[in-house]
Amino acid sequence: MSADLAKVLPMNARSKPKIVAKGIQKSFGNVLAMEDVTLSIQEREFVAIIGPSGCGKSTFLYLIAGFEKPSGGELTINGNAITGPGPDRGVVFQEFVLFPWLTVLRNITLGLDIQGVKREEAEARALKWIRLTGLSGFENAYPSTLSGGMKQRVAIARALTYDPEVLLLDEPFGALDVQTKNYMIRDLQDLWQEANRTIVMITHSVSEAVHMADRVVVLSSRPSRVIADVRIDVPHPRDRRNPTMHRYEDEITAILSAEVDKAMSLERQIR
Amino acid sequence: MTASRTAGVPRQKGGPSASPSQIVAFVTFMLPIGALLLFWEGVVRFGLADATILPAPSMIVVRAWELLNPAKAERSLLLVHIGVSLWRALAAFVLACLVAIPLGFVLGLSTGTYRALSPLLSLLLPLPAVAWTPIFLVAFGQGDLTIIGVCFLGAFFPVLYSTIQGVRGIGVHAIWVVQSMGAGPLDLFRRVLLPGALPALISGLKLGMAHSWRTLVAAEMLAALSYGLGYMIFAARSYMDVSTMFVGIVCLAVIGLLIEHVIFGTLEKMTVARWHSSGKVRGTR
Ligand SMILES: Nc1ncnc2c1ncn2[C@@H]1O[C@H](COP(=O)(O)OP(=O)(O)OP(=O)(O)O)[C@@H](O)[C@H]1O
Ligand SMILES: [Mg+2]
Repeated sequence: MSADLAKVLPMNARSKPKIVAKGIQKSFGNVLAMEDVTLSIQEREFVAIIGPSGCGKSTFLYLIAGFEKPSGGELTINGNAITGPGPDRGVVFQEFVLFPWLTVLRNITLGLDIQGVKREEAEARALKWIRLTGLSGFENAYPSTLSGGMKQRVAIARALTYDPEVLLLDEPFGALDVQTKNYMIRDLQDLWQEANRTIVMITHSVSEAVHMADRVVVLSSRPSRVIADVRIDVPHPRDRRNPTMHRYEDEITAILSAEVDKAMSLERQIR
Repeated sequence: MTASRTAGVPRQKGGPSASPSQIVAFVTFMLPIGALLLFWEGVVRFGLADATILPAPSMIVVRAWELLNPAKAERSLLLVHIGVSLWRALAAFVLACLVAIPLGFVLGLSTGTYRALSPLLSLLLPLPAVAWTPIFLVAFGQGDLTIIGVCFLGAFFPVLYSTIQGVRGIGVHAIWVVQSMGAGPLDLFRRVLLPGALPALISGLKLGMAHSWRTLVAAEMLAALSYGLGYMIFAARSYMDVSTMFVGIVCLAVIGLLIEHVIFGTLEKMTVARWHSSGKVRGTR
């Protein structure tokens, strides 16, 4: 269904592959988490990854970030094999991972502090994201005094402030209410369109994925493979009431539910 | 955010003038102690206890005053005893920290080494350091070397163990965060490992100093040639001078309390306690 639309809107026709995964395998001990993930992410593309819980989405993100090594397959960024973490790839973790000994402001400027950016400049750059994430007034608070949603916003602001080429987001809106989430989604999209970053975002929400991403990649249950790769050919800014988007949502939801049903029935047979 | 900056007027506790709540806290702390002293005084005064074994608090105060010799402070015997004891306990503690903290970081970071040494540690950690005193006496004879050596062992294991636990308690994700920002080993240590291990490390320091102080008394009784509170208490037995023994015991208790609350309490307030308070009443650094 998306083939004809792709001709109308060749969104990333001129861009080149940024991250390429070929037959990625990952096992932890004797647990095989990823079986064969093959995926190419273009420069300046916004890719959403969706899949059943425990299928290896976070693991895939950690492989791209260079925190973990694949057990098999090839993983490259800009054509070079990924050997370790680097400041070109910023990560927002599913569990936030803030530093309790740093104030909100210092948590957010951390990336720039490490890179030796002058304190005034770092703070000026942080303030923009503090404002956009609605954290103004909490600059000097310590993370232990923040709510879960606020912690998540700090984590997002921290990754955005040091401006990496690739943003790796692991369920970045999980702890936010719908209203705050919508604001953050809009800001993230503005950023992505202005600065042309490559974004890989894991999410559990099909509508979030369809609303934000160029492409939605669906992973199978563990051990994971790519079972669908859907290009969302709707120009930005997107309107939630657009019927085309609803069709995409329905399509992806159907694929995902079938996968979850299959996994659950298998799981229960074993028991 | 202006609110957070302007609200940063000094509203700190523990300034030169004590707040009413602090006075209340002090009184509630002192009340049971005062009651015990009164009761004790009464028991001795009414002849319910033998004053040659249990002297009344007033008698202990008088003896302390004599030992303190305030008229000639430069020749105050009690102050010399206290000074020597403090010096030994602190020297042992500092030396123990200098070895145990770096070693703790190494062991905490390398799982292999930790696994290899962990049985050894669990054997040595619960061992009372005083038990080594006779061996040190044989090796080094009486004197500071033996006393400081034994106290060193008393302080060493709690500090080492806490440092290891502190480092191992830091989640790998925290390390990943700074690595993905381009942090090298030095940044990693300074920005994550050290502050991350600090809460456990501070309780280890507290415990280490307390152990050093406890071990000291026994070691001084066995190995001191002159001076030191442990020596003072032990030497007083030859003259059946129970009051002096009690003066020593009171000094040990009070100094131990002061070290824990003043030194480590302040350290805690400056770090760990601050991280869990609302930063909104504080201005930027
Ligand atoms: N460090 C690890 N050691 C052992 N097993 C692991 C490790 N990390 C992940 N796994 C396993 O790999 C599988 C995938 O985990 P992962 O965290 O990537 O799932 P996920 O897709 O992110 O799930 P969720 O949507 O619930 O966050 C799980 O079965 C998990 O138990
Ligand atoms: Mg996950």
